[in-house]
This record gives sequence, structure tokens and C-alpha cells, in this order.
Amino acid sequence: MTAWHTPAGQLDPAKVRAAYPILATKPGGQPLHYLDSAATAQRPKRVIDAVAEFLLTANANPHRGAYTLGSMATDAYEAARTRTATFLGVPATELVMLGSATEALNLVARSWGKANLSRGDVVLVTEAEHHANLIPWQQVTREVDADLEFIPVDDVTGEILWDRLDGLLKLRPKIVAIGHVSNVLGSIAPLAQIAPQIHSVGGLLAVDGCQAVANMPVNILETGADFYAFSAHKMGGLFSGGGLWARANLLEAMAPIETGGDMIREVRLRDATFAEGTQRFEAGTPDASGTVALAAACEFLDELGRQQIHDHEVRMLERVLRELPEALPDARILGPKSAKDRAGLVSFSSDLVHAHDLATILDRRGVAIRAGHHCAMPLHEQLELSASARVSVAPYTTDEDLDALFEGLRDARKIFER
Amino acid sequence: MGGVDDLYREQILEHHRTPHNFGALEQPSVSTDGRNPSCGDLITMQLKLDDAGVITDVAFSGRGCAISQASASLLTDELRGKRADEITELGTPYVTELLGIEVGPARIHCALLGLETTQKAIATWRNKS
Repeated sequence: MTAWHTPAGQLDPAKVRAAYPILATKPGGQPLHYLDSAATAQRPKRVIDAVAEFLLTANANPHRGAYTLGSMATDAYEAARTRTATFLGVPATELVMLGSATEALNLVARSWGKANLSRGDVVLVTEAEHHANLIPWQQVTREVDADLEFIPVDDVTGEILWDRLDGLLKLRPKIVAIGHVSNVLGSIAPLAQIAPQIHSVGGLLAVDGCQAVANMPVNILETGADFYAFSAHKMGGLFSGGGLWARANLLEAMAPIETGGDMIREVRLRDATFAEGTQRFEAGTPDASGTVALAAACEFLDELGRQQIHDHEVRMLERVLRELPEALPDARILGPKSAKDRAGLVSFSSDLVHAHDLATILDRRGVAIRAGHHCAMPLHEQLELSASARVSVAPYTTDEDLDALFEGLRDARKIFER
Repeated sequence: MGGVDDLYREQILEHHRTPHNFGALEQPSVSTDGRNPSCGDLITMQLKLDDAGVITDVAFSGRGCAISQASASLLTDELRGKRADEITELGTPYVTELLGIEVGPARIHCALLGLETTQKAIATWRNKS
């Protein structure tokens, strides 16, 4: 056991909190109850320290300088990539470091998609996708005249109807692109079950893992995915950063969509050949400090233990699901009924109090939640909602945070029922 | 600490619960949708204007938070008899005055949706006529 756990081996959020300086601040004079980690996670001090240390002691342009400091920067960057790959359970040689998960998903759609999709081909996504895993597919299917089809959601709960997949696979989709954990529903996609189904009709599986990797154990190779995108800032890393894992044979066949420095083998005035492997997709100076931060975030999440993080978050979500209907009786909870089928978050709507009003009222108690469509407008349309409120939890979420949430919900009810 | 109570004071809640001029006009001169893309608030503003560009009737419908719906409702009470070019000059200070409170940066887009949609409607009407 470590400093972050109880004697029984559970995560102790009170101890974990101490690692995040921002949680001791009082924005607007109130103690901070940060329940918006699904939008961006808070950063542990050691991540910030790792960035500072790199910039203060090893800062140079990686892959370039023929001097000691340059080698130190290169080594730090590549070690950070390797640490991140270990965290995700993939070989470092297949992990492309990019600016964001959005960039990663656009790379799949624009590089693999444009080369492999043609007229009449089918791309399958769910109706619940984050815009980042929807719009790139809208764009590429429109460009090549392919068809975009959808795994539907339940009109009331929003839950993705995975039992429809079988029928949709008769369309023989070339690729199925889905979120590992829905950023609105909190539901966990049954990847291990659907990957073989998709592969059996010759399709590939692309996964948006933004809401999964920091909230539960994820070994990408074991998911059955062919592409897997992730975001650094949802893991406690910096805003700039994310990446794409792709199977080696897919990566080898893909063309870069961004070109420039650092991704070449040989450049002549009228043409160029490109570097091998992941470097081909990393045009320009790499975000060495951001990648160092990401590696530190991975290190910290491993120290906390992702199973322990998940167990803690499920306990927090169980309480939210249990007490939300008492605090706000007309709350319509989206996604799975059981916290065990979720990772990290609960969204809900209320006819009495609109999500934005709720967020404003909760802010008075220092409670930060997300209100809006969470970059999933089509899902909200499907549910006939203009917005929902989202509570998301993290290793540092405490019962005191939830106490403040429920107090705030009762405030809102009082205001709107008067 | 008074900020939230002021924001959600009775007048605003009343306009939210029973918005004025809510519905549709039989023969609007113009009907325009406005949406707040970051949060999904939606308003349809319908205006009837005479040849001199004076607003003679107004109706709105929509869905969204109390602030967006109440400020649209408050605005529609003021529109009849106003000239189109008066409306296009209005901005945040006017809406703040209508609501009787500074809304703050996090929610100002909600408060402005009704006015901005009205201004969009007027621009559309001008292009048509």
C-alpha cells in the first residue's frame, strides 16, 4: 500500500486531494468542489513539477541538437512516450504523439479514411458520439461519397443499443468508430464483445478513449481496437497533448496528413520521402514538455491504481445515483442505471431547473459541474433535450464534494419551486 | 453571496414560468431561429413590421435556461412600437437594464440570445424588403 490508500487498500481521496494544489484554492471565496473532471482533469503537483524540471534542466529541440542538452531533451521525450505506451499497454513504436485526441481521430478519418473508403462504403458510429468522433467521419464520408450509419440510442435513457449492432454489421462497415466511455452517458462500450463481431465482417474498430483511460484499467491491445485515441488533459497532463495508437500494419500503410520538419527522411526541391513509423505523423517540433507531463500523469495514475480509481469512482457515482432523485425529484438520469456499468460520470436533466441555471446556482457553493450538450448535440436532439447537467468524478472526489452538490441541488429546487 | 438570489429573483422566475408573448404570429414579417451553440439554448423570434420599419407585433418560442427565456420574454414586452434601427443599436447594457442585474461572463450569452435573435430577424427582414 502507498500513501494514497486506506489500510484496506481502497483509494483514500482525502490523501489524494493533497497532491492537487488547486483543490485547496477558493475561487470566488468558496472551497472548490470540482465535479467537472470529464471536461478536464485537475493536475497533480508532480505533473507541474515534471514540466518545470524538463524546462529548467533539459529544454532543447528534440531529435535535432548534436549536443548533450539536445540528447537529454530527445531522451526525455522518447522516455515519456515509452512511459505513456506502457500505461496504455501498447508498444511505443505504435504510439503517435499528437496535440489532442481530436487530432488523433481526424488523422484516422483523413488518412486511413480517405485512402480506404470509397463510394458506397459504410462507416458506422453511435448516435451518442462526441463531435470529435462524429464530424471527421461526416467530412470524409461526404468527400468520398461513402455512407455514414448509426448505432441508435434509447430515446429515453440515451443508452446505446448494442443489440442493434448485429443487424448493422450486415452493411459490412469498413470501420466502426465509437467512444470507449460515453462522455454524456458514462456507459462503457463492450469492446471485447463487439470487436470480434466487427472484425468478422472485415471491419476495423476505432475507439475514442478520452473518458476511459484515466477512469478504469485500460489495456488497449486487449480491447480489440485497431485505432485508439486519447487525450492528455483528461488524464492530468497538459492541455496540449494526446495521441493515437494504431496497429503497426495500419500505421505503416497510412499517409501523413501534416507535413513539415521532423517527419522526413529526405527532401528535394520538388519531392520528399517520409520518416518511418510514428515520426511520420509528428510533423514539426514535438511537444516534449507536454509529453513529459503526460508521462508523469501516467506514473501518478499507476501509483493510485486504475482499478482502485475505478472502484472509488463507482462508489461516488453510486451515491450520486442514489441521492440525486431525493435532492431533485424530477431529475431524468441519462445512461445506465447501475454505477457499476459506468466510468466517471452521471448526466441528468430536469424540467424544473435547466442545466445552466443549476450550474450557476451550484457555483455559489463552489460546486463546478458541466452544463450544456457536452459536444454531443445529436444525442441531446435524440433525447429531446437542449442541454443536460453532468457530474463527473475523479480520484480526488470526496463525500464532502457530493454533500455540497446535493445541498446546491436543494438550493436550486427551493429557488425554482417558490 | 446575493448574486444568485438576485439573478433568480421573482420577476425573472415569473417570466421564465409564464413567458410573455410566447407562441407564434399568424403572419409574421419575419421568423428567425437563434441558437447558443455552446449550450444549446434555442429561440425563435417572430416579428411583424410595418412599412416604416416599426415593430407592430412580436412572438417568441424556445427552450433553454431561465435566463435565456426570461430575458427574451422581458425583451418582447419592449419591442412593440420600436423602430427596427433602434433595436440594432442595443447590446449588453440594455439587456442588463431589462434584467435589472449584471449577468456575468459565464451567462451573458444566455441573456443576449433573445436580443441577438431579434437583431438577426431584423437583418433578414431588411434583406427581404
